[in-house]
Amino acid sequence: MNRRYITRRVLYGIPLILGVTFVSFLLMVYFGPDKTYELLGKNPTTEQISEVRRALGYDRAFLLRYGDYLRELVTLDLGLSDSSGEPVSVILKRTLPVSIALVLPGFILGNLMGLALGLLAAWYRGKWLDKLVMSASVVGMSVSFLVIIIGLQILLCTPYGLNLFPVRGWQVHDLGSYLYYVTVPTLALVLVTLGYNTRFYRAVMVEEIERDHIRTAQAYGASPRELLFRHVLKNSLIPVLTRIMFSVPFVVISGSLLLESYFGIPGIGLVTFNAITSGDQPILKAVVGLTGVLFVLALTVNDMLYSLVDPRVAKP
Amino acid sequence: MLKKIQIALLLALLILVCCGEPPATNGGKPAKVYRHAMDGAPGSLDPAQAASLYANFIVVTLDDTLYRYKYLARPYQLQPNLAAAMPEISADGLQVTIRIREDVYFMDDPAFANGKGREVKAQDFVYSIMRHFDPETRAQGAWLWQNRIEGLDRWKEQGSDYDSEVTGLRALDDHSVQITLTKPFPQLIHTLTQGYAAIVPREAVEAYGQMLSNHPVGSGPFRLASRDSARAVLTRNPDFRQQPFDLADEGYDPASQANLGLQVLQDRSPPFVDRLEFEFITEDAARWNAFTAGEVHFIKVPVSQFDNVLSQRNPVTLSPGFDGMYHFEASPESGFVYTNFNMDDERLGIHPDPEQNIRNRALRCAMVKAFDWDKRNEIFFYDIGRVFPGAIIPSVPEFDPAGDASYIQRDLKGARELLQANGWDEETLPTLEYGFPNSVTERQIFEQFRNFMMDAGYPSAKIRPMIFATYGDYQRAYSQGKVTLINSSWTMDYPDAENLMQLYYGPNSAPGSNSANYKNPEYDRLYDISAAMAESPERTENYRKMNQMLIDDCVSINGISRTLLFLWDRNAIMKPDRSFLGGYFLRFVDLAEPANTTP
Repeated sequence: MNRRYITRRVLYGIPLILGVTFVSFLLMVYFGPDKTYELLGKNPTTEQISEVRRALGYDRAFLLRYGDYLRELVTLDLGLSDSSGEPVSVILKRTLPVSIALVLPGFILGNLMGLALGLLAAWYRGKWLDKLVMSASVVGMSVSFLVIIIGLQILLCTPYGLNLFPVRGWQVHDLGSYLYYVTVPTLALVLVTLGYNTRFYRAVMVEEIERDHIRTAQAYGASPRELLFRHVLKNSLIPVLTRIMFSVPFVVISGSLLLESYFGIPGIGLVTFNAITSGDQPILKAVVGLTGVLFVLALTVNDMLYSLVDPRVAKP
Repeated sequence: MLKKIQIALLLALLILVCCGEPPATNGGKPAKVYRHAMDGAPGSLDPAQAASLYANFIVVTLDDTLYRYKYLARPYQLQPNLAAAMPEISADGLQVTIRIREDVYFMDDPAFANGKGREVKAQDFVYSIMRHFDPETRAQGAWLWQNRIEGLDRWKEQGSDYDSEVTGLRALDDHSVQITLTKPFPQLIHTLTQGYAAIVPREAVEAYGQMLSNHPVGSGPFRLASRDSARAVLTRNPDFRQQPFDLADEGYDPASQANLGLQVLQDRSPPFVDRLEFEFITEDAARWNAFTAGEVHFIKVPVSQFDNVLSQRNPVTLSPGFDGMYHFEASPESGFVYTNFNMDDERLGIHPDPEQNIRNRALRCAMVKAFDWDKRNEIFFYDIGRVFPGAIIPSVPEFDPAGDASYIQRDLKGARELLQANGWDEETLPTLEYGFPNSVTERQIFEQFRNFMMDAGYPSAKIRPMIFATYGDYQRAYSQGKVTLINSSWTMDYPDAENLMQLYYGPNSAPGSNSANYKNPEYDRLYDISAAMAESPERTENYRKMNQMLIDDCVSINGISRTLLFLWDRNAIMKPDRSFLGGYFLRFVDLAEPANTTP
């Protein structure tokens, strides 16, 4: 891999991170929720309001606060949550692995199954199988995530259905308990993402299948398997990689708020949602900042993978 | 091939259903684990910051307060907890002396020398109250004692130095506290039942600082084992004092409570379960599914399930499908919902021009007449809320059943006539801002309100929604007088009508709890006199006069007390309670048999 190319991509990331953090911080300070009144007792005096604002650092100049924010991001000393008083870094350390463990199986399965179905539909494009897969995808896309979650809960987790799995919780201590708690959320995630993935991957594959080099390979007598996996899939890896890489920050940081709140899973999504509704700025700053950094990292890794998949990309 | 796939699928299913959490045990025996569903999550668990119901529920099981309410007595009655007896109060009502029990210890914690919990002393109580007046604490309970305890506010002005004494808050010895009040404050003992007044050791505060909120050290029956955004787990405090349970002492009423199975608690010392697990489930559907699947023992029934759960509304009766399966209680809330007019807003509040002032009052009264409480109750409170005129809720003794019912009856004709007689028409009616935090229900409530007003001839475009991202933002806006119509609710802090009447006391105007900014010298005079009085016919008369002033001045469209429905597992031996920041009943929860085999 071209080292200069990689260095260039990494350097490009720095102004991007500064830009993302500056804009998001600006929005948070001037348009974000104000925690003051949540922390005040009843019948507060003007002096008490000022005390709380001072304690929250709201009375400090914007640029000083932004400087502190950058320092916190670099040192990963992200302060204490305004709501619970717990260090934000401890909260992230506790919740990030949970969110990753929760979303990863569904993310992988959803993409693998989407790829497989997309390939199948593209190969049989216009035929009944294609129509069946596409119709099922549209149905999957049309059903609300919430309906899927509640439906699966009733079907698999309550006495009204099979009652095989827990409605909620995350007391994971070994593989068995992990499978016990992750199965229903994973099913929900796969069901909700499969339609979108399949349609996207089918579109990419169809475009690739119609290219000249595929027809040439067919003329040379390549088998369907060879055509699909060696020529179609390999040559359409760039959009596939882009989609997957750009989903990674969401998987890592955002988790899945709905899954976490409906299944009672203490991941980063639930913490972020609570921080938004309660105006817990230290958590919001950390999540927004880290999401920005992860996006830039994903972008950089994505560019590197491009150059691996298609060496022409890295040429100056 | 197909057969192999079928076998593989069956095996996978078998593995999955065999997975799960092993049951918790207590020395080989199955542990008693009580699981409580809450519809919100607590923020800080530092007693000084226990402002929410959710935080208070947990704080009062981890920590101790000097007083509490009797577990089973209704109406509520005070009872010593860490105090050895009820307080001795001087004849002028200004000096309160409290003796503290001698057999109470903080739970073991590394914050103490050798990690061994030491005895709880009077100095700890003094320190815990002083913390509310230390800006470093970010405490939320100072309003309870502000300007009421001699020298406490001055102590704060002088820099909150814990080594300097507060004249009105002293430990006479290790087990006696003396409080000197600036004026009689009959509600003082009520304030000492709240999570805010829970006793914390100075060593723990100094060791953990702001992180005390996640590392509580108290003397309660349970200790915090773990906590995250979805749940909190509390385990039995093995060193909790022996304090045998006495049904009669707790106000047991065999006629209404015999079916709860509480008799088995007699003479046993709490805690009765090994673990308390709080599940924070904000989504109604998820909370309901968790309850019906048997994953939690208790639920406050979501309004969306009322149809499913009840067979009739008046009287509230459980559906046959649930009757016999669960214990059930319909409990009136200790608070109410109302829409205040911002009296500082000259468009409809107090105006310097006396004539305009009269027109503004007519406008407010017309809006009160246009409001349809029956519809509000039916659509949003399942028709089981209790509508009443003014600010005195039906569950306090000061409530007047013969109060001015016309205030809560819709009178569209009267509303239109009032508007017309005072020169209000589509052109002259002011544009008003109706505030609410962003939520579907709040939006629906606003649309219904606007519709009521439109029926009386108020143009739709002249009642505008002002939507805020969080309740805190909304509170800031109305505290700064930016909202004209303030839709809000109030939950009483203690069972004393003073806590309701202060909602319209002039000096409590915004940013205080008087969000209507109502300033009536006569109302304030009566409040000042009555607040210093204990419950009495004279005080009741004063409060009713004040209530009538609110009605005559059309200060607020009020109010309705909601009815809460509780369902709990038949194995759970308890009487749940959610009033006055509640939570004490969890000390006394027991389970008929270990019910924790499923996670």
